[in-house]
Order: sequence, then structure tokens, then C-alpha cells
Amino acid sequence: MPDKQLNPARVPDALRLFSLLFFAGALVFALVATLVGDVFFLRLATEALIFGGLALSVDLLLGRVGLLPLGQALFFGLGAYVSALVLKEWQASFWLSLVVSLLASALAGLVGGIIAIRSKGVYFALISFGLAQVVSKVVFNTRELGASDGIIGVPGAVVVPGLDSTAPTGFFLVTLAVIFLIYLGLRYLMDTPFGRQLSAIRTNEDRVPFLGFDPWRYKLLAFVGAACIAGVSGALYPMLRGFVSPELMFFQVSGNAVINVIVGGAGTLIGPLYGSALLTGLRSVVGSFTAHHQIIIGLLFVVVVIMFPRGLIGYLTPLLQRRLEARRSRHQQGEQ
Amino acid sequence: MTEALEWLQFVLAPQMINGLSIGVAVVLMALGLTIIFGLLDVINMAHGEFYAIGAYLAVALLGLGLSFWWALALTPMLMAVLGYATERGLIQRVFHSKDRHTLTLLLTFGLAIVLEDVLKIIFGANPLRVETPITGGSELFGLFFPNYRLFVMVAGGLLIAAVWVLVFRTSLGAIVRAAAFDRHMSASLGVPVSRVYAATFAFGVALAGLAGVLLAPIYSVFPTMGRDFVLIAFSVVIIGGMGSIKGAVLAGLLLTQVQSISSLFISPVWNDPLLFGIMVLVLMWRPRGLFGKLGHA
Repeated sequence: MPDKQLNPARVPDALRLFSLLFFAGALVFALVATLVGDVFFLRLATEALIFGGLALSVDLLLGRVGLLPLGQALFFGLGAYVSALVLKEWQASFWLSLVVSLLASALAGLVGGIIAIRSKGVYFALISFGLAQVVSKVVFNTRELGASDGIIGVPGAVVVPGLDSTAPTGFFLVTLAVIFLIYLGLRYLMDTPFGRQLSAIRTNEDRVPFLGFDPWRYKLLAFVGAACIAGVSGALYPMLRGFVSPELMFFQVSGNAVINVIVGGAGTLIGPLYGSALLTGLRSVVGSFTAHHQIIIGLLFVVVVIMFPRGLIGYLTPLLQRRLEARRSRHQQGEQ
Repeated sequence: MTEALEWLQFVLAPQMINGLSIGVAVVLMALGLTIIFGLLDVINMAHGEFYAIGAYLAVALLGLGLSFWWALALTPMLMAVLGYATERGLIQRVFHSKDRHTLTLLLTFGLAIVLEDVLKIIFGANPLRVETPITGGSELFGLFFPNYRLFVMVAGGLLIAAVWVLVFRTSLGAIVRAAAFDRHMSASLGVPVSRVYAATFAFGVALAGLAGVLLAPIYSVFPTMGRDFVLIAFSVVIIGGMGSIKGAVLAGLLLTQVQSISSLFISPVWNDPLLFGIMVLVLMWRPRGLFGKLGHA
């Protein structure tokens, strides 16, 4: 394949295999869970996917642009609040609340981006952290938004007549479809000139202007895009759980998203989804034994950062890729 | 006219002095952060947890029957040991990789999660109280102030001055500044750079612990006590310029004054947005903060 040499940014086969495995596995899981009549694990898996969407938005910034966002929960929580308000006060429509949340998070992303994108490296990390901290405090103290209680009693969102978000299997599949579309969109975007610009910025931002491109504009676009992804993921949350609370904007959520990305493998896009599924499951399992599950997550995270800084998928992909290529060359030799 | 004077004396002045007592603690925290960043390029996300550990160590030492003054003296030493071990055992391991900034930030973030839960397991999640070691109050400018707050102010001020002298007027400080300026040159001149790194990290952690002990009798002690406090300290360090000692002192005192004076006029809910707004404005004007890095002037 001559194309392979010409295009170093091509997605390795191993990564394709991992993404296929993830979405196929999710479908199998949905089938099995529905057949045995489970609700708890379907709900948990839906939540894992929703937080997987947040992790994807973190990966867009961290893995692709090289910016570490420590306050991505801001947009996630914003999407969740907007969606809850639309569902409760306006109309219990899945599509309407998704669109309104998308618009709101795009606007917030634009404002936040203009503030945060000016700074680089650790300054960006701390400013995004501060932004989220400030907004969550304001929400926490706003009585109109339910203050510390948040908004409860959000009705199920109607996707199509006859299917709303209270149906465990149905909503799991809807969420899976949304996350799949976001994933595909990001994969496609990374292959466009825009995606290449982002990689160039991550590799060496100072050289980008010499090539005639303005890094600021691309970074801002990526930031707004990440805000939209986080907002849409957040919009699904009240549909699933029926409530929103200020905790959704707290640092815990932002931090967990970063942990999911790092454990799964930053920059791989599918890794964050694995990380989210793995760690949401782990939190739930360990959480049923002890209230101190954070210590286990934290230790796991520290070990991953020290031993496998490329994360689970980032570590496994080259191994699998080598296997695949060895097999392919064996086949070719066999044919000759 | 007399009304304005009375307002200055009875409303503004006490608010400013209270702000000053918080200010010195914030500066101690920010100094630790900024020195660690200035030398190691490490954003210590666990700084707030080290502050909390300092306060809990004081609780534990008091529980052993020691006096508050022993706790005040012993805690920084224990914290320095903890900091030295942290640098050697964890941070050194990722220090030489390419993404050092991100990895060390993530590492200390993971450490913060673990430490917070450890505190919860050992001491429980409920707030604990530390008895004020100096009771009573004094009159100052015709106003009444708790003696302990005055003590915190004086002790904190002396400590800040001591840090300043240590970094800028001793040969030990010169070694640290040289290592921050050019680590390869310092290493070839015989400075044990990696030990200097560990010791500097230990020093910053000790300062955080000291701030924790000093403020323990004023606020209650609970596992997440460092979170809000460290946000102020981070803003101070960003505004003052990462790695700048001068910047941390000036920005720390100024910001806490702004906070305490503004709370006379606006609801304290808006304290953080105000702080953050100032930070953003300063960064728009000077993206690297007010002053330069440690070792660079």
C-alpha cells in the first residue's frame, strides 16, 4: 500500500480494530442485558458512555491540541442544566433540548475560549480550572437554579413517539448512537486540514505562524468544538438520571474526565471511551464495597502516569499493530 | 466628615487587618507553589492537600498531648520529610520525559486524590476544631482584635521575610537560584541538582504544612479544606508570575485585600468571580504574570 507511506497520519489498523471492538461490544452488551432483563447495568453503561463523551472532548484538547483542560465539566454541567430546564419548563423533547444545549455550550465555549486560549501550557490548565470553579460556585449559590439541590424531577425526553429516555435499552442505544457519531465526526475531522493544523500546533506551535496559519483561530475552534461535545454529552445526563446538581460542574467531574482520558490513552480518541467504561465500572464495583474508592482510582491513575504514560490503548495499539503486520507479511509471503 | 472617618476606623480597618491575617497564610501557600514551579517547573496540584495534612498533623500532635507550639515546630519538619519522599519517589520518575509539565501536573493531581481519601480514612470527614493557643484580644486603633490573629500576622510576616532572606541572601538560596537558571551549568559546577530539587520541593511542602497549622485554630480542619484555599494561592501565583517570589508576596497581599474590602460591598458569593476576573485581566495585559521567573532577575 503506497498510500501508507504518503500518509503518516493514517489511523493504524489496530486502532480501528479497537474502536470496532468497543462499539460492537456495546451492542452485544445491550443485547445480553436486555435478554436477562437487567436495568442497573444498562443505566450504568449509559452513564459511562455519557462521561465517555466528556472524555472525548477532553481528548480533543489534550491529545490533539496539547492543551490540558482541568475545567471541562463546566460545559458538561452547562449542557446538563440547559437540557434539564428545556425538558422541564419548555418541552420534553430529546431533539429540542439537544439543540438548545449545543447552542448554549457553543456560545459558552466561545466566551471561555477567548479567555483561556490566550494562555499556554500550565496557564491554560489553571485558567480552565478557575473558570469552572467560578461558574460552579455561582450556580451553587443561585436560588433560581435550585442552588445546592440542583433541578430535580426532570421528565423523560421523548426521542421519537413511543421511545423516551426512561427506557433502559432504548436510551442506551440512543446514547451509543450519539457518542458513535461524535467519535466518527472527530475521527473524520482529524483527517482534514483542520485536524492536521491541530497536530501541527501540538507539535510546535511557534512554527505554525511561519507556515501562514494563525494558531489562535484553530485553537479557539477546537475549544468551541470541545465545549459543544461536552455540552451535548451533558445534555444526555438529566435524561438518564432525571436530575442535575451543581456537583456536575465541580472539579471532581473534570478531574475524572482527565483520568479517563489518561488511563484509556490520550490522543487515541477510542482510548478515552475505554477509560470511561473501565473506570465507571470500577468506581461502581469498588464503591459498593467501600466509600473510599477514590483512593484506588487515584493509585491506579498515578501508576498509569508513571508506568504507562500513553495509556491502555496507547500502550496496546503498537503491540497489536506489530502482530497484524507480521501476520499480513506472512500471508503475502505465503501467496508468493 | 466624622462619619467617613468612623467608617474608615470601624468598618474598613478591621476588614483590612483580617484580610492581612489571611493574606500572610495565602502568601505562605503561594510561596511554596511558586518556588516549586520556579525551580522544578512542576505545578503541584496536591499543594492544597499538603496544607490539609499540615493541619491534621497539628491535630494529631495535639492529640498526643503535645502543646500547640511543639506542633507548630514539628509539623514543618515532618512535612519536609513527606515532601522529600514525594519528590524522590514520584516526581523524579516522570521528570525526565518530554511532557514533563503535563505529567507532573497529572501525577500530583492523582496524589491529591489519594491523599484526600487517606485523610478521610484516618480522621473521618467531619470538621475538627483546634483550640486557639493564644486566647484573649488586644486593642489596636481603638478596635478589638483576637490575639491569635495578630500572632498569625506577625509570625507569617517573619516567615515570609525569612524565606526572602534564605532565597536571596544566603549561599543556599544562590544554589537554588542557579539551579533554576541553568541546571546543566550548575551541575557542572558541582551543585547536586537532583538533591536540590528534592529539597526545594520539601521546602515548598513544609511551607504549605506550616500555613495549615497556623490557620487550623482559625478555621476548622476537614479533608477538603485545601481546595478553595489553593485556588486563591494559584490565582496569586499566576498573577504574580509563576516562579516569582516578589510576585507571590505582592499579589498575595493585594488580592486578599481586594477580597476582604470587596466583601463590604458585594456578597461573598462573588468573591471568586472577582478574583478570577482580576486574574484574567492581568493575564490579558501580561500573559506571564506581573514578575519574571525565579533566577531570571
